[in-house]
Amino acid sequence: MMNDRLRAVSGQIIAVAVALIMGAIIILMVGESPVRVFMTLLRGAFGDQAKIAGTLLQTTPILICGVAACVGLRGGMFNVGIEGQLFLGGFAAAWVGFAFPLPAGIHMLAALALAVVAGAAWVAIPAYFRARYNTNEVVSTILSNYVAVLLTSYFTIFLFKRPGGWSETPPILPTAYLPGIFDFSRLNWGLVIGLVLAIGAALVFRYTSWGYGVTMVGSAPKFAEYGGVNVKWQGFVVLLLSGAVGGLAGGVETLGVHHRFMEGFAPGFGFDGLIAALLANGSPVATIFTALFFGALRNGSLLLEVDTGASREIITVIQALIILSVSAQALVRRRGDSQAGERRWKF
Amino acid sequence: MEILDKLVNVALIAATLRTTAPILLVALGGSFTTKAGIFNIGLEGQMLAGAFFAVLGSIWTGSALLGVACGVAAALAFALVFAVLVVSFRANEVVVGLALNILAGGMTISLMKAIFGTRGSIVGQGIVGLPKVQLPGARDLLGSWASLISGFTPIVYVAFIAVPLLVLFYNSTRLGLYIRVVGEKPEAAEALGISITRVRYIASLLCGLLAGLAGAHLSLGYITMFTENMSSGRGFMAVAILIFSNGDPLKVLAGCLLFGFADAFSLRLQTFGYPSYLVLTVPYVVALTALFALSYRARPKIIMETLASMQKLLSADKSTEPGSKHPS
Repeated sequence: MMNDRLRAVSGQIIAVAVALIMGAIIILMVGESPVRVFMTLLRGAFGDQAKIAGTLLQTTPILICGVAACVGLRGGMFNVGIEGQLFLGGFAAAWVGFAFPLPAGIHMLAALALAVVAGAAWVAIPAYFRARYNTNEVVSTILSNYVAVLLTSYFTIFLFKRPGGWSETPPILPTAYLPGIFDFSRLNWGLVIGLVLAIGAALVFRYTSWGYGVTMVGSAPKFAEYGGVNVKWQGFVVLLLSGAVGGLAGGVETLGVHHRFMEGFAPGFGFDGLIAALLANGSPVATIFTALFFGALRNGSLLLEVDTGASREIITVIQALIILSVSAQALVRRRGDSQAGERRWKF
Repeated sequence: MEILDKLVNVALIAATLRTTAPILLVALGGSFTTKAGIFNIGLEGQMLAGAFFAVLGSIWTGSALLGVACGVAAALAFALVFAVLVVSFRANEVVVGLALNILAGGMTISLMKAIFGTRGSIVGQGIVGLPKVQLPGARDLLGSWASLISGFTPIVYVAFIAVPLLVLFYNSTRLGLYIRVVGEKPEAAEALGISITRVRYIASLLCGLLAGLAGAHLSLGYITMFTENMSSGRGFMAVAILIFSNGDPLKVLAGCLLFGFADAFSLRLQTFGYPSYLVLTVPYVVALTALFALSYRARPKIIMETLASMQKLLSADKSTEPGSKHPS
């Protein structure tokens, strides 16, 4: 058991190393020095106190989105729409934050609650059709991302624009702020929410019969069905929960960091979360570490753009390469199967 | 009525054909992989890579045709990586497809910064666009309707001619038949001695070829520039079309015309002062609605299949009872 886990972890680390080497080659091709780029990334991510706090700040939404993705992946569902759920959750939280004066504390909780509802509601239609009619959830959730981003932009610019401001809503009232942890950084209690969610999800998967059922449906749906699990209903619930957590990620980002909703407020966090969850092989606890890794890359990339000629999207390239080389490991596990065999793979 | 007249006219139909072409090409490309039994969510990335390298190629060589060739080559490279990982390495096709899409997005932006030192878009810089083909005699024959068949870039014609060619390909060529067998009955293909690996590689590469053409059309034909993530979900819409058309070329054409129309119509609405953000959602909402509505329609089939399998189960149960006859 322990040996298996060790082998799995070392496999992922080798995959990351391979990806970093390929990334280095690409950086060379772009005309930069890989050593310099990697050192700049490292310095930008962990160089001093403020940089470390910045890394944790970037980690927070990736971690929460990662947990959202884990919930889906465990149940055999690809929720690629976390990005859209994040945007709607972020807008919903901001709306409660600026439009309804409420007592401190309750205000924040109400805003987060609406973010959760918005995220779940946004995935409800794809989830219903997936559960009832087996409509491919990958495509429906990806396409709904585009709608979510445009819709929240419309709300922000045409319905709730702050007079005289940029493309943003009025600021939320301080009663709805997620309190910060340090006074030198915007890092806030959202990180704690993320950690609690990740550990909570791991415990649910490990110790409850519902969590066991979800994992069973994800890995062996026929078996689960014979075992008495209502596979369709469970798929619906899993996607809804995943969407709810995605919405929460948006709420945390709005209430903790920006204190308003802006057009394009959190680009790519949903996808980063999905990648972090894939690298963690669907384990919420491992997602804490992979989210930290991607948070560091993201924060480091800010300095990259200042100090070198490389663009910060080079980290997107590295992330994609990591996932590709992780997925290539499947060969080691499945050598010798017939190509005609049942196409049920782990990620 | 007057507004409707302004909205729906010959220009709109011509615009529909123009907006249909890229999505039609990428969807026809995807039809190869769909028929071969591969779920290819990586179309979006192949198309984006095609669009970027087509622009790059046309700047470097000063020729639109060589630009298109560069775009196709880039998309083929992506398709090859997809095939290696999915077919040979047996990796999860959704994960590989999504990762390649992310790679294409990050790579094109990084290269744009490295080569042109700009973010956002490449305009001018010596990009050579594709010429428009004026069919001789079209104007004399059709008058104001001539814009329906004449004045498009060559790739638009390629897209529409590809539809009947693909119908022929699947019905009358050996490779087309092999692709279908591999997709529908891989066990049978294996028993017949067809190399599933080779057929799936060929299907993936044919897909990359058309996806690259689609991308080149976006950046050299449709408009002459490249912008970040300019494929803007067309590859995903193509996948939606492929799901409910099952890759049949004629159904793909019907689906693509619907999206091309939605696209052209939404562009038209924008000029009438409707909020652009809402108008831009139209093609995606159409895609989602079609996906959901058609899966609802496929319901009877699912129910029939379930009933059939239950019947089989029941008859198996009965046959184990002593003295009972097999129900027919």
